[in-house]
Amino acid sequence: MRAVWQLWLLPCRQLQVGAVLLQLVWLVAAVLLACVPAAGAWVAGAAAMLLGFGSWFWFTMLGLGLRGLCRPESFLLPDFRRRLAWVGALQLAQWALLPTLAALLLRVPHALLGGAAILLLAALGLAASTARYLNLLVWGLFVLAGWQPGLASQIAKAVIASPWAVPLALLLTILIARLSLRAMLRIEDRETDSSPLENAQLGRARAGNLDGTPARRGKLARRIGAIFDGTSQRAMEQALARYRRKPSWHLRMVLVRRLLLPHDNPQALALRLLLVAAIVTFYVVAVMHRQRFNAVMVGAYAILLGLSRFPQLGRGMRQMRPNLADLYLTLAPRTRADYQQTLLDALTVLVPITVLSTLAYTGLGIVLTHAAEPLRMLLDAAIVSAGASLTALAVHLIGPEGSFGRGLVDIGVTLGAMAAYWGGYWLLGALGHALGSGVLLLLTLGFGLGVWTSARREYLRRPPCFDAPLA
Amino acid sequence: MSTVTATAPTTPVADMQTAAVLRVRGLRKAFKQREVLRGIDWDVPPGRVIGLLGRNGAGKTTLLRCLLGLSPLDAGTVELFGEPMTEPGGERMHRIGFVPQTFDLFPWMKVRAYLDFTAAFYAHWNHALAARLLGDWELDPKQKIGELSQGQRQKLAIVRAIAPEPDLLVLDEPVASLDPQARRAFMAELLALMQAPGKTVIFSTHITADLERADADITLLRDGAIQFTRPLAELRERMRRAVLTRSDGWPQAPATAGLLKATLKGDEAQLLVEDANPDSLHALAAREGATLRIETPTLEDLFVELA
Repeated sequence: MRAVWQLWLLPCRQLQVGAVLLQLVWLVAAVLLACVPAAGAWVAGAAAMLLGFGSWFWFTMLGLGLRGLCRPESFLLPDFRRRLAWVGALQLAQWALLPTLAALLLRVPHALLGGAAILLLAALGLAASTARYLNLLVWGLFVLAGWQPGLASQIAKAVIASPWAVPLALLLTILIARLSLRAMLRIEDRETDSSPLENAQLGRARAGNLDGTPARRGKLARRIGAIFDGTSQRAMEQALARYRRKPSWHLRMVLVRRLLLPHDNPQALALRLLLVAAIVTFYVVAVMHRQRFNAVMVGAYAILLGLSRFPQLGRGMRQMRPNLADLYLTLAPRTRADYQQTLLDALTVLVPITVLSTLAYTGLGIVLTHAAEPLRMLLDAAIVSAGASLTALAVHLIGPEGSFGRGLVDIGVTLGAMAAYWGGYWLLGALGHALGSGVLLLLTLGFGLGVWTSARREYLRRPPCFDAPLA
Repeated sequence: MSTVTATAPTTPVADMQTAAVLRVRGLRKAFKQREVLRGIDWDVPPGRVIGLLGRNGAGKTTLLRCLLGLSPLDAGTVELFGEPMTEPGGERMHRIGFVPQTFDLFPWMKVRAYLDFTAAFYAHWNHALAARLLGDWELDPKQKIGELSQGQRQKLAIVRAIAPEPDLLVLDEPVASLDPQARRAFMAELLALMQAPGKTVIFSTHITADLERADADITLLRDGAIQFTRPLAELRERMRRAVLTRSDGWPQAPATAGLLKATLKGDEAQLLVEDANPDSLHALAAREGATLRIETPTLEDLFVELA
């Protein structure tokens, strides 16, 4: 059972903050179910919602963890598959079987259907990391539901009322789980590693596994990846040619950037924006319908999307430490602080990149949602993303080593930036664009620069570290 | 089986202390509670190949990383090319070539791009040598580093380290992943590099045959300290293994002058002796009622006995 326990702990170890939050969600749902006799059956609905979302997220995390674990060497472990099955059974028992049993005992209406729906969501969560095309099918259902809401509602009601709903959900669950597990347990050649500092956000389709090993990619993702690689190759060659013609500090810095951030060259950035625009447009127009979006929310999402780059930077900087020893010898810095300064200078380019990306996303959101006050949104996004990206870069350079601490910092920075965006939007409305943006600039950029200056000083004071991270 | 060990004193290799490429004094390094290096004193003269020997976990990699400033010291000083390593010191780093034990360099880069990138920073880079080695060692410049096998990556690391023709080449088990052909080719390149005056190599390895081929000075690292640094020829000349055999076995090891280590195996007592006097060994054998066989140990034998 020790092996099963270790496997069960996997998501808790790799995504500590998420695991703790989701276990808390489960606990709250359990408490709500326990309250059914006193509060009535409606509480069970809230519990089912929590368990549904919780199981979806939890199994997504589990899939991410297992995707990295299921490599050819792991299959040599004694009884690996059987133990994996045990873990799956335990997880299902926790998230679906026990709550369903409790609901049945408490005579909650539609208890079986709720349980089957939770199982289906869990299977979809698992598929999110291994068989992404299945998620596309779900998206397709959402698209249809969005275009024909009346019909979708009638079908949903009919399905709920039908005695076939539970078996159908269970069959779908089995089918999706089977397809996901088949993809997960398939032995394939390992993908080539990408830069750990690379942007793994929407449109790149290139996220690595939680343990840092490269993720398996489909044909389309491979093609997109090859285009990105082509741009980085050309950018590096151009930078080298320019540096050879006329060596200068600036061109040297460009070279270092091309090495550390290979996919942050202008062509790759444009391609990324194009991909994000295509996906977001499809999502907003086809799936969610533009009229349902609040323009202010869209701006905050743009901030979130822009900042999603930095957690990967924090992880990547730790992962790259042993490699950076080679860069250290190559750069031959005069002092250790010079070396740290070089890295800082190379990475600060992420601040303008983030600001421009956020502005582009916000602009896209403005167009898609026909926002009433585009200038107010753009001003707000530009100022807040500048301060937030400075803060995010600062905390990831000197932030906590452990994944738990880093997870907390990520959540804090992202939520703080989104809150700052909403606050800034209100401020611009209350004080006018000129005065409001001045005050916002003072507050957010002042804060960002303050954090950045302190972090910079601390980073320069620290000796460079080339030891591989312990975890 | 029981063993008795004694440590040979550390002796200078040559009177080149003043011009030492590397000078280490009182170097200490610990990871959490575990002290890996316990006051290392070490001088490396120029123009020599130094074979750094030690068992797994002896601290060879840690020592080499500390020397290059890749790992912070807990105590002690390191001088490289006559200047303290408190700071890397700019161009001095370009006089060093380093092949790490594990080579996980930028796997997303292509071989050619990686070498071009590195060469761009060097004032001196032997492009012809790099191109020749890529060809000889069948490394495809268009291939991504991540697509290379471990052995090919090791070859690339060696090309990268040798191409600037450094004055000091630090190699941390560089041939562990290489096939015999590649190992021989690498040793040939290393010896060619050493033909230039003033070139120094520090070479951590377990393949003692390579050190014998390079006629290296041997430095033994044990228990977190340098036990000795001696030319291989001197070791060969001064070390002998005396094997005493008698039918009723050995309750304890016989004592003799210059004894470094005694190993008792059944009816044999194997004594590793420094500056052995054959007469006194014969007298010892007669006293103990045993037959005597005197052998010249190989470097691997010495490593097994002393490390």
